[in-house]
Amino acid sequence: MAGTVVGEGLSIEGDLSSDEEVVVHGNVRGKLTTTDQVSVASGGVVQADVSGATVSIAGQVTGDVTATERVDLQTGGRLVGDVKAARFTIADGASFKGNVDMEM
Amino acid sequence: MVRHSTELSVLGAGSKVIGRVSGEGSLRIEGSVRGDVQLSGDAEIASGGSVEGNVQAGALDIAGSLQGDVNAHGPIAIRSGAVVRGELKGSEVSIEPGSRISVRLETEIELDLGGPGGGGSKRR
Amino acid sequence: MAAVSLIGRGTVVRGNVRGDGSLEIQGRVEGDVTVTGDVVLGEEAVVRGSITGAQLNIAGTVQGDLRGTESLLVERGARVVGDLTSPRIGVAPGALVRGTVRTDGEAPLATPVARRPGLTAQPLRAAAPAVRPAPVAAPKLEPVKAAPPPPPPPKVDAPLEEADSEEMESEPPSAPAAAAAAKAPPPVVPALGKHAKAKKKRRDG
Repeated sequence: MAGTVVGEGLSIEGDLSSDEEVVVHGNVRGKLTTTDQVSVASGGVVQADVSGATVSIAGQVTGDVTATERVDLQTGGRLVGDVKAARFTIADGASFKGNVDMEM
Repeated sequence: MVRHSTELSVLGAGSKVIGRVSGEGSLRIEGSVRGDVQLSGDAEIASGGSVEGNVQAGALDIAGSLQGDVNAHGPIAIRSGAVVRGELKGSEVSIEPGSRISVRLETEIELDLGGPGGGGSKRR
Repeated sequence: MAAVSLIGRGTVVRGNVRGDGSLEIQGRVEGDVTVTGDVVLGEEAVVRGSITGAQLNIAGTVQGDLRGTESLLVERGARVVGDLTSPRIGVAPGALVRGTVRTDGEAPLATPVARRPGLTAQPLRAAAPAVRPAPVAAPKLEPVKAAPPPPPPPKVDAPLEEADSEEMESEPPSAPAAAAAAKAPPPVVPALGKHAKAKKKRRDG
């Protein structure tokens, strides 16, 4: 089970920082930072810069995403913002708008 | 209260929120929150967890630390390791010995000061 | 074990109660209770005044502050309006408490509630004698040398010091309850119907 789960009906407005896995089914607005994995589930809405080891997006993210390892944008996911990661995948059916920097 | 649906949120032990947490569902706080918490469901501040801010929730269970005011629709339970400071309003407040608290309880209560078995003054 | 005194069910004490032993209250006290030992307040007991002791165990009704120098337990069914102070405090589910509750002696963040008027007994005088007490069998709280306790239950063992005689409205020990009622100078407590309810106090500010 993930260290932090922002459930479906929950909203966080502000900075969320963690050293554990973070799963977002609800809303985060502000800043989301972890040294571990970030998953934005399909109902999740994040309006924040996101930073993690790996970032997996099946929901919506508006903000810059930085990962020390990889960013994966899943089918159905929407990302508007810049990506900085060594690896970045965009699945079929995902949508993305922003810049990508793969130099680490 | 362990539910595996997405209705139970958890702020893990390694997490810190500076800002407001609000919404539907219940929340277990194992990390720290600096800001207000406003939930339709129940809130739990686990041992090791801390909230610096006001809390509005259904029931509230505090085993960690809370500094702020509470407005709970349901019962408030303060566990033995808790550290709590603020004004608490709930349908009921229970406190376990061993907690460190400096709180004001705003319980709605009417005292019946009629004496036992005939005690008390009578008008003549 | 320190001697235990008892204020029995049918007893009303108007005045402050002080002593060195422990005290069990099953009746009614209108005044402050201050003992060095423990205090047990029964479910039907009523105290209008503060209670100070070492270990307090409260199951009844209190309008006044509670101070346990060692511990303070408020049981289910208790009703307390007043401030609670003790290094170790328990409030059981089902107990109702309104007031500040502190284990550390520091005030909570919010503004303190306006002080509720405590009911410390006044020196006896014939003021406003609109009130006759119902059975006032004051417990025998004098040291051993005094006369034996009156027939009604308060089987109070000696060592509780008598409260300040000015304040304590106790009758000479031999007086039976009815006579005591007739002889007792009218108390200065505000007249209360048998089922008087305290109004909820609104906090100022």
